[in-house]
Amino acid sequence: MNSLIELGLQVPVRLDSTLCSRFRSTKSECAACAVVCPAPGAVRLGDGAGNNGAEINAACVACGACVSACPNGAIRLLEDDQRVAERIAQKVHSGETFRFACNRAKGRAEMVLPCLSRLTEALVLEPIRRGAQQVELRAPDCSGCGLRKTAQQWERTLVFSQALCESAGLGAARISSVQVQVGNAEEIRLPARGPSSRRRLFGSIAERWKASGDAPLETEAGEEAEPEPFREIVKRHSENSKRTDLLRVLDALPGLKVTPKEVVTVGLPLAQLEVDSRCVGCNVCETLCPTGALTHREEGGNYALDFDAAHCTGCRVCELACYHQALHLRETVDLSLLFQRSRVTLISARLANCQACGERILGTASTFCPTCQVKASGDRRDSVARLFFSGGN
Amino acid sequence: MSEYSPIVPREAIERSFAKQGPKQYTLWVDIEHCIGCNACTIACKAENNTPVGVDYNRVIEIEEGDFRDASKTPNVGVTFVPMPCMHCGQPACQAACPVGAITKRKEDGIVLINKDKCIGCRYCAWACPYGAPQFNAEAKIMEKCTLCVHRTDKGLVPACVTTCPAKVRFFGELNELTMVMREKRAKGVSISVGGADTKPSVQYTSK
Repeated sequence: MNSLIELGLQVPVRLDSTLCSRFRSTKSECAACAVVCPAPGAVRLGDGAGNNGAEINAACVACGACVSACPNGAIRLLEDDQRVAERIAQKVHSGETFRFACNRAKGRAEMVLPCLSRLTEALVLEPIRRGAQQVELRAPDCSGCGLRKTAQQWERTLVFSQALCESAGLGAARISSVQVQVGNAEEIRLPARGPSSRRRLFGSIAERWKASGDAPLETEAGEEAEPEPFREIVKRHSENSKRTDLLRVLDALPGLKVTPKEVVTVGLPLAQLEVDSRCVGCNVCETLCPTGALTHREEGGNYALDFDAAHCTGCRVCELACYHQALHLRETVDLSLLFQRSRVTLISARLANCQACGERILGTASTFCPTCQVKASGDRRDSVARLFFSGGN
Repeated sequence: MSEYSPIVPREAIERSFAKQGPKQYTLWVDIEHCIGCNACTIACKAENNTPVGVDYNRVIEIEEGDFRDASKTPNVGVTFVPMPCMHCGQPACQAACPVGAITKRKEDGIVLINKDKCIGCRYCAWACPYGAPQFNAEAKIMEKCTLCVHRTDKGLVPACVTTCPAKVRFFGELNELTMVMREKRAKGVSISVGGADTKPSVQYTSK
């Protein structure tokens, strides 16, 4: 029945699970998309068993808040950021103020969006890159809007964009928000619950049926192929297009003069990592990192873990997954890292063989691998069995 | 209760406990009468087709006593302890797994590793105080005793239980086994991980 309901209703966003940090690690408690989503029941988060990742269904109203909120760029609207950026570029007048406004806002604006939370940092900075002097976000009081839950997102984007602008040496004042009056009578109302009406459901089924003719339904054809196992999927690191867009815009900012700016990491899609000597070189952080910001090198018995800060989104998957808690996010982060493309080596140490089982480990903390650390004999079962024999408890 | 290196956070283990269902299939091993023939180990290897070095079940020999002391009567003995997965009530392996590949089945309490999800990072082997998860170097994934889930789902008992020539292994639901076990003074031996009790379900009767 579920597949029937979802059959004809097109979801206006595309979600790339391989970039979702919840999908990659059940330890991740990221709920960025669910927190900002204004439509009840549109975002479903997994519960730890099976697929833990986020899913977006047809209740979605295409406001774009989750696109902006997801640090990993896992969610894309059908009209993607690239096309919005092109539209912005066409409307920019050099040296003037570029105004973004939402549907409800009164007054003129160069670009009107359904909701300001659609804006990502890259889109906010795009007019400046194209020569605009000022960027103004014109928003009415969000509390009266059906999408009011998304207000936190565009405010967050605004603050981060201002910080980036300052770090680029352009001054935070070039991006500002202005509260305007509600001008447009057209109120955005959300469906009370459920994805759609019955009429729309059957209408869409009929359309699908006509289009497919006598051909079998897609779902039947899909069942033939065996799904790719999870462990193969996590080996892939998709490109975080949201971050690549941002980096492209930052590079092209006119009058760029990078100044270091330390800000608090919490709540930012950016981080600096630290690895201490507890690291055993298990590579789980590298495997699970959604954006591929961590990579390791093995050269001549030497192990090194490299970190690309410009692609790190601060999703904390590596920190939460690390068994030995060897990896930590620094409390502050330097925004100028986004302008540099340098790779930092977090840890570099010689690989040693475990004294008991011969397994290759990083010999910085112990000469035994974690499996053998309990007992030098190499078999943990042996030491435990004695407990049973001697009466245990 | 013994203690084991507290790397897995206590809250993580206790959170995994919240998912336990009412039923718990388990094994009961009578160590007192185990003859150490390793038939269970072999039956398990044949049934699950495990490669060399991967043993879901292993029989540990414990020698004790002393015969060199001339002043005392020689008092030596060997005890055999079969060690399968304990199918814990609060599995430390589940708490440690970074990708959620380990689940405790609600309907029968069997702890299973999802081979499609497992990335072979060995965190479960590091976390398990009983040494149950084994690394399969061929497939590059972790494996462990499944209580022969392919057999128990069909109403059969695990291969080790059918094979045991000394009839010291029993399979059943924990609460149903209780009557027999109380008579036999059976108990589970728990090792806590990071301060949280792992609540092993496999029961042992020792001398």
